[in-house]
Amino acid sequence: MADAYPAEPDVLELRAAPASRGELLRDVARHREVLMALARKDFQTRYKRATLGVIWAVAVPVLQAAVMAVVFSKIVRFPASGGYAPFVMVGIVAWTFFAGTLTVGAIAIVENASLTEKVWFPRALLPMVPALSNLVGFAISLAVVVLLLPLFDVGWGVRLALLVPATALLLAFTIALCLVLAALHVYFRDVKYLVAAALLVWMYVTPVIYPKDLPALARFTWLIDLNPLTGIVDFFRLGTTGVAPGAGRSIAITIAWTVGLGIAALEAHRRYDRLFADQL
Amino acid sequence: MSAAIELVGVSKQYVKLEERAMLLRSLLPFARPKRTPLDALRDIDLKVDEGETIGVIGRNGAGKTTFLRLLAGVSRPTAGAVRVRGRVAPLLSVGVGFHPEMSGRENVYINGMLLGLSEADVAARFDEIVAFAELESFIDTPVKFYSSGMFMRLGFSVAIHVDPNVLLVDEVLAVGDLAFQLKCFERMRELKERGTTIVIVSHSMHAIRLLCPRAVLLSHGRLELDGDVEEVIARHHELLSEATDTGELNGEPFAGGVELVERELLGPEGPTTQVPRGVPCRLRCRFRFTRPVESPLVHFTVLGQDGTVAYQMRSALNHQHRRYGKGDEATAEIAFTPQLAGGTFRFLVSVTSVDGRQLLYRDTNGLLVYVPPPLGSAGIADLDATIRLDGEVLTDYPDLTL
Repeated sequence: MADAYPAEPDVLELRAAPASRGELLRDVARHREVLMALARKDFQTRYKRATLGVIWAVAVPVLQAAVMAVVFSKIVRFPASGGYAPFVMVGIVAWTFFAGTLTVGAIAIVENASLTEKVWFPRALLPMVPALSNLVGFAISLAVVVLLLPLFDVGWGVRLALLVPATALLLAFTIALCLVLAALHVYFRDVKYLVAAALLVWMYVTPVIYPKDLPALARFTWLIDLNPLTGIVDFFRLGTTGVAPGAGRSIAITIAWTVGLGIAALEAHRRYDRLFADQL
Repeated sequence: MSAAIELVGVSKQYVKLEERAMLLRSLLPFARPKRTPLDALRDIDLKVDEGETIGVIGRNGAGKTTFLRLLAGVSRPTAGAVRVRGRVAPLLSVGVGFHPEMSGRENVYINGMLLGLSEADVAARFDEIVAFAELESFIDTPVKFYSSGMFMRLGFSVAIHVDPNVLLVDEVLAVGDLAFQLKCFERMRELKERGTTIVIVSHSMHAIRLLCPRAVLLSHGRLELDGDVEEVIARHHELLSEATDTGELNGEPFAGGVELVERELLGPEGPTTQVPRGVPCRLRCRFRFTRPVESPLVHFTVLGQDGTVAYQMRSALNHQHRRYGKGDEATAEIAFTPQLAGGTFRFLVSVTSVDGRQLLYRDTNGLLVYVPPPLGSAGIADLDATIRLDGEVLTDYPDLTL
């Protein structure tokens, strides 16, 4: 067992100054095995007690999308090019991942305070955990939507490959936002309620269930595109139905948001990481 | 030998908010909640060598927990630098470090990995960890169903099986049965032999004395004393008694007509804080009367740590009539020869009216005195026993200090 001692032990040096960006990134990279283990456990504990297990993660958004599809295509009659059902399904699946992850991720540092009370690891891992564990349910839901596409007269094509960068962007944006909010939440517990309230409104200002090219919205296209989630749902529609007018601009805006939030997250965590514990 | 732990001018300040910060109020400069700075540690310099075992003592709020948090890297200092070489393993205990919903098995993996092992490393040691914790039949139970003893055993087992360079022990040795405690001591000795530095925080002077040749005393965030364990423990009790005198502990001592002006414990060579067995001592108290009192009685009581009366003595009634007026002073001197066994004792002096019914002065906390116990013994009295088996003395205990 003695051979497990590191030959040249790492020296932990703590000063009043914040960690450098490189240090934080190195620390996160060094703990990636822990991150994966935490995500795996999070996934398992979430669905272990339920008989149907992970099926719930898929069934709920698909059911929600089905309800939306019936309500809005038969009753309200939104005109969506490429068929309304696949349009709304892909939107709901992406939104469900985002909303579900944000609700948990934004409070992850406070909620898991006990884990970091005595042993240090970058707190930035905690808000990443729900994003990674929700990715499984999301991937299955997305696969179900893709499998159902021919049912709505949408063929499969090379454009399905776009779902990979779309998922990457969704993941990056969600994680960046969770990191920033989770850091804020340590100091301001209102964040938890703000997130819940914001998500309620956010879903309706995002073209999830309605197409953004509705004639009534023509004057607000710019505003709609400024919403980072517009780019995400556009990206996913580009990969599934292939129809997403003005997707280039909205996706570019989402990437800008992601980079901005990513920088904010990096700054917040390198400055406050070892001070979070004082507030918990 | 290089230093395993080094603190240079370390201070830690917390900001205590008068009320919970609210997002809106913090944005309005005029409505900001009041912030009171709180110095948990002030300008600490300390160096601990590789393989050393050091005890950290001090009253509640002296900064012991903050000290451990800095060593574990959970928090960062407000000033100064903390350097810790190698893998630091804190003992995990109830509610900290364990995820209640996850089973013991999953927690062992997560914690092993958090402490710096790879998943394969944990797998290789898994059986040993579980066997040491004696939790074979509960390892797949969610830890929220564990008792505090089970938590402690698992936490200890994980910490010592990750081959730490620095082991942080926070008061957990108090839990668990005697057999398990002995096993822990044995393991800690093994770790120490392999070069692990051990930091023990405890309120049990017994544990500190048994395990640490060196100790540091923290008081109000400052490093009050760093040195030989006996010396540090003595100083700790001195500070405790001072705190008692100034009414700093549990409010003001009861007073109904008599005030304590001065109190000192005297050994053969003057003021002392220790009462070794068989050495005559005197406890001298000077009282002032705040109202006229006739022939007061003086009571002397010695209590064990758990409140057991170890000894009691009262002055007699049938002596010359004495009368004290308001503002008069009187000196009570209690001479005694201690025959106490090890532990912390409270020496209390009280004054009552002549019929014993009216309490004129009661010392709520008393003078705290620590008596180093003879090894192998327990209880409140010291009978200085020796045990022979077939003529061989079996009670000449070797020094157990790590």
